[in-house]
Amino acid sequence: MSLALLTTREDHRIAWLAALAITLHIVESTLPSPIPGVKPGLANIITILTLIQFGWSTAAWVNLLRVLVGSVLVGSFLSPTFILSLAGAISSIMVLRVASWLPLSGRKQGTGTIGSGGSGFGPIGYSVLAAMAHMAGQFYTAYLLFIPHDALFHLLPVLMTAAVIFGIISGFIAHLILGRSLNQPRQSPVR
Amino acid sequence: MTFPHKKSHGFTLALILLLTACSTQQAQLHQQQFLLFGTLVDISIWGTDKQQAQQAIAQISTDLENMHNEWHAWHDSPLTRLNKMLASGQSATVPPSMVPLVQKSMALSDASDGLFNPAMGKLVKLWGFQQDDLPESTPPDDAEINATTALQPKMQNLTLTHNQLQSHNTNVQLDFGAIAKGYAVDLAIDKLRALGIHNAIVNAGGNLRVIGKHGDRPWRIGIRHPRAPGILASIEAHDDESILTSGDYERFFEYKGKRYHHILDPRTGYPANGFTSVTVIYHDAATADAASTALFVAGPQRWREIAKKMGIQYIMIMDDKGQVTMTPAMAERIHFESNPTPHMTISTLP
Amino acid sequence: MTRADIVVVILAVALLPFLYITYWGSSQQGNELRVMVNGKETMVLSLHENKHITVPGPLGASVIDIHDGKARFVSSPCRGKQCVHTGWLGQGGEFAACLPNRVSIAVIAQEQRYDSIVF
Repeated sequence: MSLALLTTREDHRIAWLAALAITLHIVESTLPSPIPGVKPGLANIITILTLIQFGWSTAAWVNLLRVLVGSVLVGSFLSPTFILSLAGAISSIMVLRVASWLPLSGRKQGTGTIGSGGSGFGPIGYSVLAAMAHMAGQFYTAYLLFIPHDALFHLLPVLMTAAVIFGIISGFIAHLILGRSLNQPRQSPVR
Repeated sequence: MTFPHKKSHGFTLALILLLTACSTQQAQLHQQQFLLFGTLVDISIWGTDKQQAQQAIAQISTDLENMHNEWHAWHDSPLTRLNKMLASGQSATVPPSMVPLVQKSMALSDASDGLFNPAMGKLVKLWGFQQDDLPESTPPDDAEINATTALQPKMQNLTLTHNQLQSHNTNVQLDFGAIAKGYAVDLAIDKLRALGIHNAIVNAGGNLRVIGKHGDRPWRIGIRHPRAPGILASIEAHDDESILTSGDYERFFEYKGKRYHHILDPRTGYPANGFTSVTVIYHDAATADAASTALFVAGPQRWREIAKKMGIQYIMIMDDKGQVTMTPAMAERIHFESNPTPHMTISTLP
Repeated sequence: MTRADIVVVILAVALLPFLYITYWGSSQQGNELRVMVNGKETMVLSLHENKHITVPGPLGASVIDIHDGKARFVSSPCRGKQCVHTGWLGQGGEFAACLPNRVSIAVIAQEQRYDSIVF
């Protein structure tokens, strides 16, 4: 990836980040999963980095594009799978919006466009919130639209445990990447 | 599925479909328990609407109640009246509903070489098992037991012509305790089918027959451990199959540390020795009921021979040392649930 | 990690046991006890509230103990005491009955491990 491409217009940036997120996810899906159906969600790293480096609206675009383009690539566009995916993405993006408004920890207030100064949250907090929101949104959509039966709730504890664990892990990865790129502010956040 | 954007959704969906299947099954299951037939009756019906299921269960409970009243061996009943006639040596008219039960009992008694013997009502009464609660904790006198056994009442002493029953031994007293519940379960299943229900379990005091399935999985049947609390093993029941156990723990009393149970050996007059429980799987519950009793009575020496004669393939026996013996057919289907698993021997029928 | 991060992680982790208790506490184990007297359902009790109850039947009082998601007959006025020997019941579909006193208990669970039990 070239630095020049990332520093051009916002559209290009979004496109590249979304492409990266999709790539990460495809790589991830080739790995065996310990619990069937539970995936680490490494693409979350891209969402969090984008949020911290470029702001919420860029992150929202990247996330939604990933769902749209991803479903088209896989051929699930407008299927229940796509609806669940979209629901997860929308709810995580909504939670990140709220989280980036919250001045929780008396750190410097900002627009959320540079560094991690948007709110009290760092990458790990954002990542855990996003992962849990994604799971919850997807889960309740499944419950409301597809399976309005309480038996579904037996899955919730396992799914949320996975969300929290992988949320922490991808948040930590984002943290490591940020630690590097903050020292070189004009570098790609994902190198 | 933390972030299942694309590929993992296939699985998510499969999981969801699975759950949907589960949940509709639950919605379609109707289960009811009641005390009837001197025992706990448990009926499960799958896949019919609630009203139909409830009506069917109500019908069956009425039927079972009627059968219980007709075949009751110690309350005043058509059976006790029949027994009085038999004792007086007269030819007796068998109520229409009881004719097939008498016929079936005669055939099964023959097939079991007399080890299943519903003609020995006197012996059952002597031991005190013909009463609602368990007997007082004293066995009868040995002399009395020997005298009662020596009367040798047998089903072969009876001749049934149409509905006329004649006994050639006035000591024959019918007690259908070892077949009535199984037979009643068969009739209940017939009734369910006639009512258009094709997925159900009827369980009368552990005498159980299954038709159809629980949705897309077979019915799962647990077998209670004869000595410890909880479940010994489980079996997935096939369509139209009966699973029954005869055990020394069902009705018994203890006297001076020895257990006296209700499965009496017609040859000796005493409770049968050697086994703790015998579980069989067979098509109809009446045969399974009589066979589990006959095999229990047959004991370690003769159970294989009797099983062969009665055509029983699926047998699991726990002996008085807690060891399990079963036929290869049974071993293939049974799944042990108890911990530790009992020591198990496979025994081929002759 | 910022302070807010730590708060989020702690809250998230704390939420998990709560979820397990709420949604799993009652799945494998039975969650309710149906008590029948004379063939009629007289009450349905939660198995998660420890209780000692006395149920009157024709012969006298049967005493039932509910403890940690399980239930058992403690005593019953019958001679056989088979109900008492049955021991603790915790899984969906399990039951015990004192027939002489016409009192029976059965565990009701959402997904039963056994559809019916041979005894």
